[in-house]
Amino acid sequence: MTTPPTQADTLLARADALRQALPENFRDQLVQALYTEAESVARRAVRAEGQRTDWDSRLDRLVTSPLFGLPIMLLILAVVFWLTITGANVPSALLADGLFWFEDQAAALFTALGAPWWLTGFVWHGVWRSLAWVVSVMLPPMAIFFPCFTFLEDLGYLPRVAFNLDWLFKQAGAHGKQSLTMTMGFGCNAAGVIATRVIDSPRERLIAILTNNFVPCNGRFPTLIMLATVFVAAAFPPALASVAAAGSVVMVVLIGVLFTLVISALLSRTLLRGEASAFSLELPPFRRPDVKRILYTSLIDRTIFVLWRAIQTAAPAGAVIWLLANLTLGGRALAWHVADFLNPLGWAIGLDGVILLAYIIAIPANEIVVPTMLMVYMGVGMMTDTPGLTELRTLLIGQHGWTMLTAVNLMLFALLHNPCATTILTMWKETHSLKWTTLGALGPLAIAFLVCFITASLARLLGWA
Amino acid sequence: MSVDCESCPANAALAQMGLDVSNFDYLVALAGNPNTGKSTVFNALTGLKQHTGNWPGKTVTRAEGGYQFQGKRYKLVDLPGTYSLLSASQDEEIARNFILFGQPDCTIVVTDATCLERNLNLVLQVLEISDRAVVCVNLMDEARRKGLRVDVRGLARDLGVPVVATAARAGEGLGDLLGAVAEVAGGQVRVAPRRVAANAALEHALRELLPLIEAAAPGLPNPRWVALRLLDGDQRIRQALLTGELNDIAQRQREAVRRFSRKMAVEGAQ
Amino acid sequence: MNYPVFLALILALVAAVAWPRFGLLALWQRLRANRRRIRTEDALKHLHACAWRGQSATLQSLAGALHLTLAGAVRLVGELEAQGLLRAAEDGLHLTPDGEQIAVAVIRAHRLWERYLVDEARMPLAEVHHEAERREHSRSAEALGALDAALGHPAADPHGDPIPTVTGRIERVESRPLTDWPLDAPARIVHLEDEPAALFAQIAAEGLRPGQTLRVLESAPQRLTLSDGRKTFALAPLVAANIFVAPEPANGHPADRRLTALKQGERALVRALDDGLQGFTRRRLLDLGLTPGVPVTAELPSLFGDPVAYRVRGTLIALRRDQAEQVLIAEPASAAPAPSPSAQE
Repeated sequence: MTTPPTQADTLLARADALRQALPENFRDQLVQALYTEAESVARRAVRAEGQRTDWDSRLDRLVTSPLFGLPIMLLILAVVFWLTITGANVPSALLADGLFWFEDQAAALFTALGAPWWLTGFVWHGVWRSLAWVVSVMLPPMAIFFPCFTFLEDLGYLPRVAFNLDWLFKQAGAHGKQSLTMTMGFGCNAAGVIATRVIDSPRERLIAILTNNFVPCNGRFPTLIMLATVFVAAAFPPALASVAAAGSVVMVVLIGVLFTLVISALLSRTLLRGEASAFSLELPPFRRPDVKRILYTSLIDRTIFVLWRAIQTAAPAGAVIWLLANLTLGGRALAWHVADFLNPLGWAIGLDGVILLAYIIAIPANEIVVPTMLMVYMGVGMMTDTPGLTELRTLLIGQHGWTMLTAVNLMLFALLHNPCATTILTMWKETHSLKWTTLGALGPLAIAFLVCFITASLARLLGWA
Repeated sequence: MSVDCESCPANAALAQMGLDVSNFDYLVALAGNPNTGKSTVFNALTGLKQHTGNWPGKTVTRAEGGYQFQGKRYKLVDLPGTYSLLSASQDEEIARNFILFGQPDCTIVVTDATCLERNLNLVLQVLEISDRAVVCVNLMDEARRKGLRVDVRGLARDLGVPVVATAARAGEGLGDLLGAVAEVAGGQVRVAPRRVAANAALEHALRELLPLIEAAAPGLPNPRWVALRLLDGDQRIRQALLTGELNDIAQRQREAVRRFSRKMAVEGAQ
Repeated sequence: MNYPVFLALILALVAAVAWPRFGLLALWQRLRANRRRIRTEDALKHLHACAWRGQSATLQSLAGALHLTLAGAVRLVGELEAQGLLRAAEDGLHLTPDGEQIAVAVIRAHRLWERYLVDEARMPLAEVHHEAERREHSRSAEALGALDAALGHPAADPHGDPIPTVTGRIERVESRPLTDWPLDAPARIVHLEDEPAALFAQIAAEGLRPGQTLRVLESAPQRLTLSDGRKTFALAPLVAANIFVAPEPANGHPADRRLTALKQGERALVRALDDGLQGFTRRRLLDLGLTPGVPVTAELPSLFGDPVAYRVRGTLIALRRDQAEQVLIAEPASAAPAPSPSAQE
């Protein structure tokens, strides 16, 4: 070095030299000194007056007991889902009615003012309709699901779930808290990815981020439920139909959990081998949740946040959808040209070109997959709601050649395919890494293609389709 | 803190931490262990005047909000909940760096009255870094239910900083907390925080380093802590020493002392 | 195929092969240079290891260590000699000061990575050598310095070998192979030879690790019988010769009782954290209050029995089995000491 050492340099050199001379465990001694001091201060300040019944311990023993632990967990989960699904029905319908009514009025107003048809169509039947769709499907379930989740979190129950399931996740090289981020993923995968912040170990957190997509979010549930009712339920006698439909949805979810664990195990043993890893989990005492805080955290931090990101991506998607359906080339809508182009690929994985087209357009938000698909099939110019069951069966099976294979593969594809744009964006924000974001986006897509290709080929070989 | 200069080093440091440096008189940091009701205290103090975001460049949630008390505007920054400031996890680093480089006018350490011993570990560490602190013994309602009594005045005497008992969920004790924060931030109380003694080998090394630190960054409020961090090989503190950030802290400390003595002189003359 | 398309294809192909920095050719060159560097570094490391053991490296030993033919080894030695990294003499191959510097830098990288993989990535000891072999060649000096600082400037790798300082100094730990150790004298493992891998795998499978204290109970030509106070081990002398030991220091702990020994509801005082546990996990456990002398109660097993929640300083902390295994506890006392107020509940 040419410049003379500064005072700071001298200091650092001295510190380095002194460190060599210190006993190796001097950091331990430092922490011990702090705790010894804390103990003596606490002993002087705190006085215990008699022992009260310890409800905490009793409750803890109940929720972690080998006999009741799992049933209690499943019961709570089932109640939350039931509340979300049934509770969201009415507000969803109201919201949809209101927003679509507004669309009609606004479009009528535009027409009355002499606006050209394409402007009215693009703005109201394209962009607005897509927004309305996403909001009405997404908002009510989230506004119910997230407060329930936050309630359980503040109560102190969720850390117990992570505690109970940790062994299972440890086998896959993951963290027990991944069970929580997965549950959050049922509400919304983007929220699930953000929720991985509770995992304070870098490797386990990355695993949780990269695999969150394998739990179907509430934007994908409608697809699964539609397929279950149209195809699976129809294959059973009426008495068993609804049980069969529900069973098949549960089955799909279980397949998703299985994929999560298998992919987690693969990641931790290959790509993420050698990433830093640690485990810590505190079980806080059970506490009466603070309602104001729950509403604030779940509505402002989670719901509005996710909704805003979804709106940002759904609006452009609406524009593209409208253009594809309304621009024509050689007398046919652009959408059909694209669908024809995608058809061979779709056939190879047991689907068809229209489905693939819907999935490509629906990258911004999974809620609009089914409406887009129906729009193209029915040859209309805007996204369309599901018609009655019989009409739907005629449309899909009669006119467009769907089979049981199409239904099964579409369920698998819906479960496994790439995350939506909002989730991809969130992955990027949470990892700041192009590598992990790309893997998180394309990995599931590759898996979805592979799995669907295998099932399609098998089914065709065995003569089932 | 009176904010009248946008380019002061301290303000630059705050801006780097993503903080809006205008529109407040005092900066208050909120530290504490996880699950001590820290966010309940935060919500109780700020109400809906808060917004959440990330720490710059990090994926750690940060909430900040504001409140007014006796005509002064306070900015409250919620630090990540940590057990310690030593493990160097991302959360702990953020909390530590904010208390050190952000130079808050007061740091509230929220503790759980039902397991004070564990929480005092963090309190003692915060007091090593900054002497402008208020300890908030929260969850007093729960402690009472468990039959625990906390001697708040004794605790304050032991720790050398104001201690306030609260039950934030019920709104109990929050007024006292605001008062204590105002006194510490405004420099009306002299704090004499408790510092933990080290063993002989460490004490020897510290004694050798202290004069060197005094020479490199004269007037630091926490030279012992800095010496310990340097012995531990803390990269961030090394860097702060080399870039002169530590000197900026020392500078501000000297100004604060001057202001305080001038104020005392004026008040004494009246 | 028509002419312009054909031309474009040819051009694209040429570009893909010959594009500077990103083309296949450049890629291949980089790979080759990289391979050559790795071979150089491995060769220098071998020479250093021989010198460290007081043996002299030969063409044969080099060829064996790097899996080269003798002719390949001759060629390599020629190259290295031309670069001024080694010197071939009557009594074998020797490192020049330049060669020594590179060798020590690679060893430093290797041992720091092993430390990282065990402490921070929590990888099993048996797997880290291989992974560190892969990583030791690909880091700049600055990055290594940062790794060193992040690990808290460790003095030894997880096998007990000293980590060279940035200036290239290596502390020598006096040790003897276990086969030379007297019967019944307490010995502390300071180094496990990690090559050949097959023998090391046996050592690791027995659960032996640096810092552990052992006694040789019986020494026969067929096998050595060892005890750590809890468990006895039988090792072939060939395996035992790869375990290097030194006299036990005053504060060694034979027969350690660990937190996992506690049954539900039982209470014990923490005595220490295992020395094998370092890095972030150690700091975290200490910060959670698991310091020597603190009472801990095993309160709650989880659904599958692992992890277990322990009550430490008034809070329930879940520890996985491998973590609890690293917390040493005192023997059960008949009368529990007076609890501090916050630790009861």
